[in-house]
Amino acid sequence: MKLLRLEFYKCRRRKIALVCAAVLAAQLFWFWVVLSRQSAEEMQQGWMLMLYNFAVVDAIMLPVATAVLASRSCEIEHKGCTLKLLETAASPAQLYRAKLLWGALTLGGLLALRGAILVCIGVTLGFPGEVPTTRIILFTVLTWAVSVTLYLLQQGLSLRYANQAPALICGIFGSFAGLMSMLLPSFVQRMVPWSYYGLLSLTGMNWNPTTHDTWFYWFWPPVTNFVLLACWAILFFVIGRTLFVRKEV
Amino acid sequence: MNSIETHGLSKQYGNALRVKHLDLCVPEGCIYGFLGPNGAGKSTTLKMILGLVRPTQGSIEVLGQPMARANRLAVLKQVGSLIESPSYYGHLTGEENLRIVQMLRGVPEKNIREVLQIVRLDNQQGKQVAHYSLGMKQRLGLAAALLGYPKLLILDEPTNGLDPAGIQEMRELIRELPARFDMTVVVSSHLLSEIDQMADHVGIIQEGELIFQDTLTHLHDRSQHHLALRTANTPVAQTLLTQRHIPCTAEQDYLILPLLDDGQAADLIRFLTKNRLDVIRLEERQKSLEDIFLELTGKAASL
Repeated sequence: MKLLRLEFYKCRRRKIALVCAAVLAAQLFWFWVVLSRQSAEEMQQGWMLMLYNFAVVDAIMLPVATAVLASRSCEIEHKGCTLKLLETAASPAQLYRAKLLWGALTLGGLLALRGAILVCIGVTLGFPGEVPTTRIILFTVLTWAVSVTLYLLQQGLSLRYANQAPALICGIFGSFAGLMSMLLPSFVQRMVPWSYYGLLSLTGMNWNPTTHDTWFYWFWPPVTNFVLLACWAILFFVIGRTLFVRKEV
Repeated sequence: MNSIETHGLSKQYGNALRVKHLDLCVPEGCIYGFLGPNGAGKSTTLKMILGLVRPTQGSIEVLGQPMARANRLAVLKQVGSLIESPSYYGHLTGEENLRIVQMLRGVPEKNIREVLQIVRLDNQQGKQVAHYSLGMKQRLGLAAALLGYPKLLILDEPTNGLDPAGIQEMRELIRELPARFDMTVVVSSHLLSEIDQMADHVGIIQEGELIFQDTLTHLHDRSQHHLALRTANTPVAQTLLTQRHIPCTAEQDYLILPLLDDGQAADLIRFLTKNRLDVIRLEERQKSLEDIFLELTGKAASL
C-alpha cells in the first residue's frame, strides 16, 4: 500500500488527469459524430449502438492511452535514475507490482467515469428501454480487463527501455492492429492482443448490403475469449516482471 | 567491528571479469576512500554491496550481517547511498523528492527539514528539481542518503561534475559526518587528491583488483625520502659513487641516492670536488602520493 501511495505521489504534475480527460473527450467526440449520422429508426437501438461504437473506439484509442499512461509512470524512473535508489528500500518485484496497481486503478477510474457518462448520455438522449446497467457495468469491467492486459505489455516495454519510443510505437501499432483485426476471422483476432476490445464486445451488428440497413443485437462472448485474454495477461505479466526483476541497475 | 567486509567478491560480465576476488575491509567509524581509475570496477563493487548487482562469486557482510536476498532490505535500512549520479524526480520539488524517500524508508518527517539544512538546500526546497544546478542535485542526493541517519553511508563519486567551490563544500560536508552522526562513510573517487583530503582509510582498485588497502598514513609512509645529486658529469659521478659503495641510479640529469646524514653528505661533496667534479645541486626529495599511486597502478593519479 505504501508503494502504491508513492506511485500516486510521484505522478503529481505528470498531467495524468489531463491524459484521461483527453481520452474521454476524444471518445465522446467520436460518438457525437456517430450519433449525428444516425436516423431516428437507428436511434431506437441507442444503448446497443452506443456500446457497439464504444467497443470500436476503445480498440482505436485505448491501446495508445495505455501506452501513454505506462510511459508517463515509468519514464520518470529512467529520467531521474531513481531505480538504484528505490531498489535499496524495496524489491524490484514490489516496485513492479506497485506500478501495475497504479495503472490498473487509473484505468479503472477512467473507465468507471466513462461508464457513468454513458448512462448519462443514454438517459439524456432518451434511448428507448431501461438502462442496461448490468451490461454497461460488464462492458466497463471487460474493457478494463483488456486495457490492463495491454497495460502489462506497455509497462514491460516502458520499464525495459529508457527511450519511450518503442513503447509508444507499440501502442500506436496496437491501435491499428486492434481495428484492422475486427475485419478478420475470430481465430486470427485471438492471436492479436489488441483485438480483444472487439472480441469481448457485448453487442453484435448485422448489415444488409442491399438496403444498407444495420441492426444490433446483444451478444455474449465465448468463454474461450476470456481464457485467451487471461493467457495473454499472464504472458505479459511473467515476461515483463521477469525482465524487470532480473535487470541490474 | 567492520562496517563492510567482502571475501573473494567477483563480478563477471560475459567473458570479462570486471571485479576480481575483492577482500574489502571497511572499519567502523572511518572515512574509507575507494580509489581507482575510471572503469576500475568501483561502482560495480559498491552496487554489489548494496545488492543492486548480483555478485558472480564471493560473500558480503554489511554492518556485521551477511547480505542475502532474504535480509537485504532489512540490512539496507541502516545504509544510505548515492551511486554514480543523484536519483531524483525532476518534476517534483526537492522537498517532495525527500518525502518519497522518507515514506519509502519510514523515517520521521522532521528528518526532511533537518537534512535539507545539513546540505544547505533549505532555501530551495520548493523549487522543482529539474531547475536545480548539478551541484544542488548532488546535495539533494546526499540529503536523500542521509535522511534516515544511516550507520553506513556509501557515496560513489559524489563530487562528479561539481565546480571547485561545490567540491570543497561537498568534501567538508562528508568530512564532518562520522564525528557528527557516528557514521561510517565509504566514498569512491578517481581523484587521489580528493581521497587524500577526505579519507583516513584507503582501498585502491585497479582493473578489478584491490592493489592496496590500509590507512592513508600507511600509504604516506611509502613515500621514502632520498637524495638527488646533479653534477657537471653524471657518468663520472656515478662511477665515483660506486667506488665509495653508495648505491645510485641515474634519472634524467640526476643521480638518485639513499638519504645520507649531514656528515656523510658533506664527505660526499668533498670527495667529488677533490676529484675535480663540480657539484651543481644536492636535493632532498620525497615521493609524492601521485608517485606512489603511479607506482601502484601504472597510471596517472587522475584519469
